[in-house]
Amino acid sequence: MMILQIAWRNLWRNKRRSFIILTSIIVGVAATDWMDGLARGYTTQMLENQLGAHTAHLQIHAKGFNDNKTVQNFMRNSDSVMMAVKSKGQIKNYSRRIVTFGLLSSASNSSGISLVGIEPNQEQCVTTIHRNIVEGKYFTNTANEIVISRQMAKTLDVGLGDRLVAMASTQDGTVGSELFRITGIYQSPSLSFDKMYVYVPLQIMQQMLHVDDRIAEIAIIGKDIDSVEVMKKELSAKLGSTYEVLSYNDLLPSLVSQIELMNSLMYLFFVLIGTALIFGVINTFLMAVYERIREFGVLKSIGMKDVYLLIMIELEALLLGLIGSIIGTILGAGVVLIVGKVGLNLAIFSKGLTAFGSGAILYPRFDWFSIGIGAVIIIMICLLAAIYPARRAMKLQPMQAIMYV
Amino acid sequence: MISVEKLEKVYEDNGVPVHALHSIDLSIERGEFLAIAGPSGSGKTTLLNLIGALDIPTSGNIIFEQEMLQDLNKNALSSIRLNRIGFIFQAYNLIPVLTARENVEFKLMLLGVSENARKERSLQVLNELGIGDLADKRPNKMSGGQQQRVAIARAIVNNPPLVLADEPTANLDSVTAHALLDLMLKMNLEKNITFIFSSHDRQVLEHARRIVILKDGRLAEDNKKI
Repeated sequence: MMILQIAWRNLWRNKRRSFIILTSIIVGVAATDWMDGLARGYTTQMLENQLGAHTAHLQIHAKGFNDNKTVQNFMRNSDSVMMAVKSKGQIKNYSRRIVTFGLLSSASNSSGISLVGIEPNQEQCVTTIHRNIVEGKYFTNTANEIVISRQMAKTLDVGLGDRLVAMASTQDGTVGSELFRITGIYQSPSLSFDKMYVYVPLQIMQQMLHVDDRIAEIAIIGKDIDSVEVMKKELSAKLGSTYEVLSYNDLLPSLVSQIELMNSLMYLFFVLIGTALIFGVINTFLMAVYERIREFGVLKSIGMKDVYLLIMIELEALLLGLIGSIIGTILGAGVVLIVGKVGLNLAIFSKGLTAFGSGAILYPRFDWFSIGIGAVIIIMICLLAAIYPARRAMKLQPMQAIMYV
Repeated sequence: MISVEKLEKVYEDNGVPVHALHSIDLSIERGEFLAIAGPSGSGKTTLLNLIGALDIPTSGNIIFEQEMLQDLNKNALSSIRLNRIGFIFQAYNLIPVLTARENVEFKLMLLGVSENARKERSLQVLNELGIGDLADKRPNKMSGGQQQRVAIARAIVNNPPLVLADEPTANLDSVTAHALLDLMLKMNLEKNITFIFSSHDRQVLEHARRIVILKDGRLAEDNKKI
């Protein structure tokens, strides 16, 4: 306890120096917490927006559909698949769809699209398009309604109530078409998504494509995103080789790579911060040790063993790391929590952010494990940084140290 | 108690060897009050440091209570300094962040004495030296004489058989110096603690019962009284 007392008091012998190094530790910890929260929020939003917009956690297709998305590769006997899906307890919701490439035309313009036939009530349990409606309504059970994006409306120069013709290849190789009336306009966080996806009722689309009751896919949301790969394995085993069960990792490989890249860059950032801190702490402790060489000589002369000297210096480093980590964590985590609630409006970067699908308002995410690990690592850095100065002190002969000028 | 045989110490000063001690032979008994005197650079402090295991001789032997110091490792030497030797320095060398009592307690803490016992003992020793009222003061709030008393308290708190004092009165006025020397003499007589001083202060030499004179690193005279 007395050595701890000495370590604590030694920390404040040079208040200015201690405050400077403490501030750098606090800022370092707070900055890493903040960057982690921001990156985590960004990648989570990107993923959630994509998954929520269309992809969902899992999709089931007939084998080969994902590589060749034609009407001929639609699922047959989807009822048996539905039974398998309904029997899995980890599945929260599911939705049947048809997805095909087509052409959408207005009186003034045309655009290539991904035409999605959905069951609106089921679909809103799986995706978030219904929450992104900015004009009109989602689906109202009226005949031949279509929901398009604001971007698409701009491209086709149309508005609510206007009519559009959708065309696509049918089962028998002809071109099917249908007239729709715009009942809802949406705007998602992703501009690239908005440029492509258009929604119509499933049954209308089945009629248009002459596919009877066949569907292209079943989109699934699980109760826990972390167990998606396990669900995928289990469903694949149950359904056999006639079907393909794909997770979002399979369906969005470039997004997943982007997220992994982001995470790698964050680790690099942490390493850089840690490296800068370690040198700062080494420098501080070297100065503190050199200032007290005579005192260490006196301590050795009265019989203090080198191990106690090491403990004393390491305790000073521990206290510094602990105080800095605690305050830095409170600051960093506090900012993440607050900004996580209100959001960070990055409107000046909005074009880039909507292109990546995260949206212009970022909500940093708080993660106990990351924040805890960060604080522990900083403390370890302080302890490591003090070893070299401590060894310098330990190597001195008592008389050498006492006579040091 | 202490036997010094053919002791040599050579330092390196910018690559130039400096012969601080030449073949010193000396024998010191328990309970002596001995001063090592000589002009500056004669090797007084060097000899004191070697006897106190603060430095390593170049050659020769130092036998302290039947133990050959140069055969002992670092930890064993630390143990000897802790348990059997007290040090009093010219510059007091108290730990600035500790109070007077804590400075004295620190040695007892290293000896593994319990908290209550060491608080009690350190206060007792400070009171014996007449500075019990300074127990909670830090060194920067004390005079030179008071600091040196605390240093003495630290040196004798565990009743070591040997106390080494390097120019203990150099930074003190003559009245204070005299008082401190009387104190140390009293401890020598009452507790049979051996005191070895290195000094060229006449007051110290007058108090000593034996004087060893060094000149140019050699033993010039032994047992001279002024």
